[in-house]
Amino acid sequence: MVEAVGPEFKEYAIEEFLVRREPYYRPVGDEVELFTAAYHQHIPVLLKGPTGCGKTRFVEYMAWKLGRPVTTIRRNDQQELREGEVRVPLVTIACHEDLTASDLVGRYLLDAEGTRWIDGPMTRAVKTGAILYLDEVVEARKDTTVLIHPLTDHRRILPVEKRGTIIEADDRFLLCISYNPHYQSALKDLKQSTRQRFISVEFNYPPREIEAEIIAKESGCSPAQADALSKFGEKVRNLREHGLQEGASTRLLIYAGRLMTQGIPARRACQVAIVWTLTDEPELQRSVEEVASSIFE
Amino acid sequence: MSTVPTPDIEKELAKLPPAVLESYKAALPLMESSFNAEELLLWAKEGVAIATQTVRSWESAVEYHKVGPQVSKALAFPSFMQWARCGTYLSQDSPTLAVAFFHSSPSIVGNLRPQYIPRWAGLGRSLYKGTWKSSTLAAKFFEVSPDLIRSLPFWDVEVFVSLIEALSYKSYDVAVECLALGKDVLPAMGREREAFLSMTRSLAEGSWREVKTCLELAPRTLQQLEDAQTGRFLKLGERLAKMGLRDTARFLADGTQALAQVTPSAQGHILDLSELLISVAPEAVPAFLKSLENVLGRITLNQLDTWFQQGAQLLKENRESGIAFFKVESNTSEALLETLSSSLELERVKGVIRLYCRALSGSPIEVMNTKELVRKNIGWVDEDTASTDGTKVFLPPVVDHYLSKDENFAWFKVVSTHQVGHLEFGSFQFQFEKPAALFENRRIALEQQRGIAVPEQAVEPMAAEHAEAASEGQTQSFTDIGRFLHLFDNRKLAFDLFTVLEDCRLDYRVRVEYPGIRTAAEKVQIEARKGRPNIEELPLQEALVELLLHMSLEQFTDLPVPVEHREVAEMLARILHTLRNESANVEDTSEATLRAYELISRLQNEEQPEDQWEPEDLDDPGEFSEEDYQNLVDKLQAGQEEAGDQGEGEPYDSPEPVDYRGDFKPEMVQLLSKLQSDKNQQGDGPQLTKEQLEQLLQESAELELDAEQGDANQNMSQFAQNLMKEAGVPPPNAQPGQGYGPQLHDDDQGGELEAKEPRTYVYDEWDFRAGDYKPRWCIVKEKTLEEGEHSFYNESLRNYSSLLAHIKRQFELIMPESFRKIYRLIDGEDVDLNAALEAVADLRMGVSPDEKIYWRRNKIQRDVAVVFLLDMSASTAEAIDEGRHTTDDRDAPDDPVEYMVWLRRRREGLVRRHYKRIIDLEKESIALLIQALESIGDTYGIYGFSGYGRENVEFYVIKDIAESFGEKIKRRIDKITPLHATRMGAAIRHAITKLENQDATTKIFFLISDGRPQDRGYSREGVEKEYAVHDTHMALLEAKRKDIIPFCLTVDKAGHDYLKAMCGDMGYEVLGDIWALPERLPMLYRKLTF
Ligand SMILES: Nc1ncnc2c1ncn2[C@@H]1O[C@H](COP(=O)(O)OP(=O)(O)OP(=O)(O)O)[C@@H](O)[C@H]1O
Ligand SMILES: [Mg+2]
Repeated sequence: MVEAVGPEFKEYAIEEFLVRREPYYRPVGDEVELFTAAYHQHIPVLLKGPTGCGKTRFVEYMAWKLGRPVTTIRRNDQQELREGEVRVPLVTIACHEDLTASDLVGRYLLDAEGTRWIDGPMTRAVKTGAILYLDEVVEARKDTTVLIHPLTDHRRILPVEKRGTIIEADDRFLLCISYNPHYQSALKDLKQSTRQRFISVEFNYPPREIEAEIIAKESGCSPAQADALSKFGEKVRNLREHGLQEGASTRLLIYAGRLMTQGIPARRACQVAIVWTLTDEPELQRSVEEVASSIFE
Repeated sequence: MSTVPTPDIEKELAKLPPAVLESYKAALPLMESSFNAEELLLWAKEGVAIATQTVRSWESAVEYHKVGPQVSKALAFPSFMQWARCGTYLSQDSPTLAVAFFHSSPSIVGNLRPQYIPRWAGLGRSLYKGTWKSSTLAAKFFEVSPDLIRSLPFWDVEVFVSLIEALSYKSYDVAVECLALGKDVLPAMGREREAFLSMTRSLAEGSWREVKTCLELAPRTLQQLEDAQTGRFLKLGERLAKMGLRDTARFLADGTQALAQVTPSAQGHILDLSELLISVAPEAVPAFLKSLENVLGRITLNQLDTWFQQGAQLLKENRESGIAFFKVESNTSEALLETLSSSLELERVKGVIRLYCRALSGSPIEVMNTKELVRKNIGWVDEDTASTDGTKVFLPPVVDHYLSKDENFAWFKVVSTHQVGHLEFGSFQFQFEKPAALFENRRIALEQQRGIAVPEQAVEPMAAEHAEAASEGQTQSFTDIGRFLHLFDNRKLAFDLFTVLEDCRLDYRVRVEYPGIRTAAEKVQIEARKGRPNIEELPLQEALVELLLHMSLEQFTDLPVPVEHREVAEMLARILHTLRNESANVEDTSEATLRAYELISRLQNEEQPEDQWEPEDLDDPGEFSEEDYQNLVDKLQAGQEEAGDQGEGEPYDSPEPVDYRGDFKPEMVQLLSKLQSDKNQQGDGPQLTKEQLEQLLQESAELELDAEQGDANQNMSQFAQNLMKEAGVPPPNAQPGQGYGPQLHDDDQGGELEAKEPRTYVYDEWDFRAGDYKPRWCIVKEKTLEEGEHSFYNESLRNYSSLLAHIKRQFELIMPESFRKIYRLIDGEDVDLNAALEAVADLRMGVSPDEKIYWRRNKIQRDVAVVFLLDMSASTAEAIDEGRHTTDDRDAPDDPVEYMVWLRRRREGLVRRHYKRIIDLEKESIALLIQALESIGDTYGIYGFSGYGRENVEFYVIKDIAESFGEKIKRRIDKITPLHATRMGAAIRHAITKLENQDATTKIFFLISDGRPQDRGYSREGVEKEYAVHDTHMALLEAKRKDIIPFCLTVDKAGHDYLKAMCGDMGYEVLGDIWALPERLPMLYRKLTF
């Protein structure tokens, strides 16, 4: 008899979410050093780059790396904090246009006994010294900048208007935002006064060999397949200025690789994971498919 | 009051059957209202006359009386009497006729001019031949007359009757049937009626039976044709009928069906062909038309010409087989269709191949027809082989090597992959001093050994004196490839070796990098090996080059090797195999060339006896070793010295080219790019004079001139000129001896300008080479555009009414979006739950709560100001989707095939004679945009610009930003026309000033252009081209710095090539399909501002 397996998931309080297992991240340039330096110097970081090039993965990796116990040896039971061990929680918030300042800071709630103040994710991150990652920050409502500004200059404070308090950020706190410079709407651009509070680390799709390594590792496909996929990615990106809105992201290349490990033929995998995802225009589709059919047997 | 006509009349009538008098009495009171007494009398008398013509004519009189009152209302008295008398005559001949005539009259007289009435009566009369059958026919005619007269010009009725009359001589029954058919069919026809009648008329003699079928078929068949073509088609039918073709009805059916298969404009072309055919053999026309559906199912309209041409030729030679050809009942015809249908025209796949090449190479490659390269006359001569000049890939216009389109497409792919391979794997990046990856470097040592002065000018800028010396004829090389080839006495041999080895390296790389086309590539290689000469039959040097060539085409086994020189052959194989390695670079090829040359050039170029050859496998000749190689060279050298002077051997000839590898001209490519980059350095590098260039070309191993030495010189000079043109160097300077001095800006002379007149403004211009602005460099003259008619504007709205509705809807859709919910208000539509909870919580906590607990939908104040700047350059006059073909008959080609093509183009031009220009679409788009903008109430200004030279940048106000919209503006839009050049930078700077002073929260600058910035002293090929792009970029950046959001929309498909540079990370869009502009422009604006 087969025992029914219930759904399995874990739930964490937001600031308790620690990146416990080492995320796979393959450094491309000096971004790790830059981020580490910025972290120790309390300099907020802006990650610029096209979609699916590894920004989110990078932040996860940095959270893990910066929080790695320096003095103690890692043990199997990772839950337990050891003396002298630092953990850097990672709080990620995907920004959208209805995200308001109080969503971030917190609000009073009613409950059986009376009222209760609930900290918003930003407040919690500030208090616990987390890395706060605001993904696609341009999407958020303009009033969020009111919060970002005092947090990102030398003050490092979060005013909680409602309670009439000010929170000084924990020493380990760092604000990190991401931004895809590809034009979307002229009205949604980062203001200079916001931009100039961050250092900007540019991300791009990794060079061919490194990308092949990432693809192989992430998708489990063969090195030869990964090579071919990264070559394909490079060629497709060449079309970015000739009609394609965006190049093939690393993420998509990995998808194709994963399909291939499941026995989907290479050309077909590229078609569904890349060609059709990137464009609806028949001539472009055909051209990209021709590239795929040259590269893959 | 009128007096009653004399009782005499009644008396007369009373003698006849009573019906007559009755009818008279019934009519009389009614007639009184139209006629006076005198007239009444005449009317009554005519009745008596009619009644008394013949025994039975009283019947006519009854009808006459009956219709009188109605007819009298339509006709004045004299005409009335004329009409009555027509009846009288008819009743004289046949009362039946007269009855029919009178009976139809009430419906006729209102539609026919009175003077035609007698002619009408006459038509009926003409059908009457005194027999009973003929009177029935004639009466039938009067019966159907109302229908015919109402909808046909009288002339057509006459022709039709003459047709019926002609038929009546053959058969009254058929004539009657046709008459009845005609009544239904003819009124429904349009302009083609005349041609149709004329055609059927021609049938009436010989093939009268077909007239009826044609009438029956006409409505169904003719409507399948394009209106304009129906007449021609029928004319064709008529000609055929006159030439004795039977079965016109069949022609009508088959022909229309065939034509219905193709587009309207193509119908014209098919008719052209048919007309051509008629003069050769009329009977081929129906065959041709009948086959058409089948044939066009297999080949394209373009290919049809080829097929047709061959058929026509055959027809001239042998009628029978020609006809069989057109019926597709001959092998020739079938085979040709087979080939044509599998052949692939470059035009059809050019777009895909271009993108493919761009993807592979990562540079903005253009794909072109080889014809275009040959036409440039810069050294490439072969139309059938592919090539590349470093930025463009040239491919043959058609491929028909294989029996399926897929295979032929694969051929295109193999060839373009090879050509792009030159770019991707760096054939043209050759650097003389860059080390090879696999071989030891011998180039530099060899150069020193041969005592060639290191041509520093190839590396370092050359001093002025050097340039003098060089032009005096001292050998020098201008490119790295040239420098390399200078190492060898037999440059031709060296170059051939370089070509073979480089192609071998590339094909190997392609094989490894693109396994997907390996099969296709192998097939192409096998194909290429087939036509090669026998190695054994060639003189030794050529044989060894050929041997290398075979190996480069992947043939390694069973190769004939000269017994005496087996060692050389093996060494060559080892050298070649070394290049078959992923890390081999172009410098390795040069080292391999050098080694192969050292070996081969030491042998006598003599044919070897047949028994001196033995087959050998060279697929694994072992590792190449420098030591073995050196030993072999030494040995050959010794042998050579020992043998002494044995004469020259045969002169060395280059191997047959390999088709798919095309024309490899690295020196030419390097030269071109060198010429271009020189120019870009603005004179601080060495400049090549035309004389130097000519000399260089003379020495080049890449050029083969068929011409005799005499005009070779002239050719050279032409080449040199063309090359310089290609590279964008201006034509030779007027002052002799000055050569090509540093390229200055045309208008670098002169200096700062001053704006003296009113409404003129002066602006700086960005010089990217200097990294600084040229102060006060351009004058912008602002003018308000003249006013034309407002009809253009209104018409545009009408023409695009459905699109307009769509756009408006889209803009209105924004409204709900901009009605955002505003939270935390003191009062509003409803309680904001979050705020209320907080307030209650605050209360409980004893904190004084926020009273703002309501929300309300609120219109967010849209606060956008925008300036549109429209390109009014001359290029916007270009017709869209239209070749630049004149419709002038004078340039009609003589060659029949070309003539047909020409004719078709012309016809298409005629059909679409209301073609549109880019500017027209721009204007229409502006009209739609205004509607959209007005509907949302943004502040906006619309301006156009053009001009010539920096002193004359014209800036036209179409709608000033402060002006409000109205009739004036509509009328100005009418006057937007293509003018001169486009100096974008200055125009943008001026447009920006319009926005600068607006205090909107969002300010947008929107440029609509159709191409690169262009102006005198602003944009010539090469450096200036960049100058213009940089200046424009800077102007846009200036806008951005002023908090204005710039956006560029271009309809130039090549826009991707420079817009990135021009706009940087500012927004832009390249519109692939210009027809989409009216829709896209408002939508883009919408997207940009919400
Ligand atoms: N340098 C890298 N090392 C390891 N994995 C990488 C790297 N770059 C990209 N990846 C892979 O690419 C995937 C996509 O990356 P990620 O989700 O971080 O993209 P992103 O830049 O955050 O994209 P978006 O802007 O769309 O959110 C990751 O899941 C990871 O598998
Ligand atoms: Mg992400």
